[in-house]
Amino acid sequence: MFSLRIWGDRGSMPTPGPDTVLFGGNTSCLELRFDGRLVIVDAGSGIRQLGDHLMKTDIKKGPIDADIFITHTHWDHIMGFPMFTPIYVPGTKLRIRGPINYEDDSLESIIGSQLSYRYWPVRQEDLAAKIEYEQIKESRYDLGGGLNVYSKYLNHPILCLGYRFEYEGRSLVTMYDTEPFINVFPTDPADPSYDEDAAREGDAAAADENAKLHRFMQGADLVVHDAQYTAKEYIAGKIGWGHSSYEHAINAAHKAGVKRLLLFHHDPNRSDTELQELELFYQGKLAGRSGLAVEMAREGSTYKIEV
Amino acid sequence: MALDNIGKVQNYVGSMASLPVTVSKVLEVCNNPKTSPIDLDHVIQLDPVLMGRVLKLINSAYYGLGTQVTSLVRAIIMLGVNTVKNLALSTAVLDRFTDRKGFSAINMEGFWRHSLCVGVTAKLIARRRGVDPKSVEEYFAAGLLHDIGKIPMNAALASDYVLAMAVADRERIPLNAAESRVLGIDHCAAGGAVAQAWKLAGAISDVIVHHHAVAAYEGEHTDVLLTVAVANYYASREEIGFSGNRYPERLDPAIFGRLGIPKSLLEELDGPVNAEIEKAQIFLKMAK
Repeated sequence: MFSLRIWGDRGSMPTPGPDTVLFGGNTSCLELRFDGRLVIVDAGSGIRQLGDHLMKTDIKKGPIDADIFITHTHWDHIMGFPMFTPIYVPGTKLRIRGPINYEDDSLESIIGSQLSYRYWPVRQEDLAAKIEYEQIKESRYDLGGGLNVYSKYLNHPILCLGYRFEYEGRSLVTMYDTEPFINVFPTDPADPSYDEDAAREGDAAAADENAKLHRFMQGADLVVHDAQYTAKEYIAGKIGWGHSSYEHAINAAHKAGVKRLLLFHHDPNRSDTELQELELFYQGKLAGRSGLAVEMAREGSTYKIEV
Repeated sequence: MALDNIGKVQNYVGSMASLPVTVSKVLEVCNNPKTSPIDLDHVIQLDPVLMGRVLKLINSAYYGLGTQVTSLVRAIIMLGVNTVKNLALSTAVLDRFTDRKGFSAINMEGFWRHSLCVGVTAKLIARRRGVDPKSVEEYFAAGLLHDIGKIPMNAALASDYVLAMAVADRERIPLNAAESRVLGIDHCAAGGAVAQAWKLAGAISDVIVHHHAVAAYEGEHTDVLLTVAVANYYASREEIGFSGNRYPERLDPAIFGRLGIPKSLLEELDGPVNAEIEKAQIFLKMAK
């Protein structure tokens, strides 16, 4: 069995309330199952309910043993960690991997400092679980049992990794938080700070990096892609914020031959009604023109990747 | 002694700060939330330590990069402006913990000017030789970083380094020969340790290690190495900046032939080299 369950799909900040019942208000957390093996992506506020769920189900079979991959250390992707119940349970084993922005602070201190008296009544040192941290970069990990994970830097204001999980010939890719690479250097010769070399190298670098993102999700069975804005919103003032438009996510997934796309990292101001309308709008646009299946990520939903 | 001194250099590399000349501009550019990528690119290009640390980050973090990234523009796009800003800030702030008295042998402003001159000159020669524009930045980076080994020697081996410079001056010998005699290592070996810690490979590393022994070099980056050797000769001859080497070794005239350029090309470089250095001074708001 290869499956995904979404425990949090909201961007930036938890958004409880009547407008977010259908698609959910918790921030990023994905539960992946590879037969008996548990892998979690991100520890946003959704990880609280995942932890409670594990304490009702998995714990009966023995202590919780999981690999957690953090996409990046922005707060909405780590904020749920102190409320992940298994960390208080003796016998729990967690291997937490993720990128750090530059070399001064460790992953352990960035995530673990949430568990200090200033923020929380229990200190990291007092946790019952055995937790190992590993700061990772772009790489490939053989987790054993036929499960391989590839990590790839995306385009976000801090270093952020996308993950590609390959298991028994099927693949699931996380592509958030990210936006397309652009040349950030002036390309208009009339610009006073125009530099011919920088303009040319910047164009080449952006094209090369976008090609790498394309290859990273090529042919994937399921892609969970950042899609916080409409193209209009993105162009009007969100370029450089590190999030994609629906249009970009759909086009990129279509071109990469992806089979199923979940639009993820919903804007905190986007209501259920708006998300439903947008979902229907984009599905309508694609109907008959692409083999790509597109839907908005829904908290609580499970997606099976058939093996 | 040599092993001990290499150990001291290696220990120092982690705390190597950006140059005093660039610190205030680094802080100004990187503390500005609206900094333009071009300003960021400019300020980093003017500091060999910052440049080296950005290249270290990009080349150690990315998987399966076919070749070394030597272009700062590319590094800024790949890593993002914020990441590079943070790295630059953390490098600039290290300066607070540096024992400034340690910078006693080599004047850091002179060192800065020399390094920049060699970088700019190497780039201009490469352009004149019709080198692929994609590789020109590598010539600049190699020139800017060629003497990087002097920074840890100057700071971590300060008193012996003053002695080495005195020996070089008194006996009228090249500084690297005096360094080897007094300290057991020269700045090329110290630079090799820096390059290793920063995971610099290829042309930049080869230039750092071999720029005073070009005749014996058998690697694959001859063009970059010879170009930087010529640029280094030019900077010394024109006395643009000073990095402690008052009596450099003679430059083998055959090098010009190997590079396919006339020696007279150097006469044409004065204008553009000085213009680039002046531009840098204005950018850094330095007194001329």
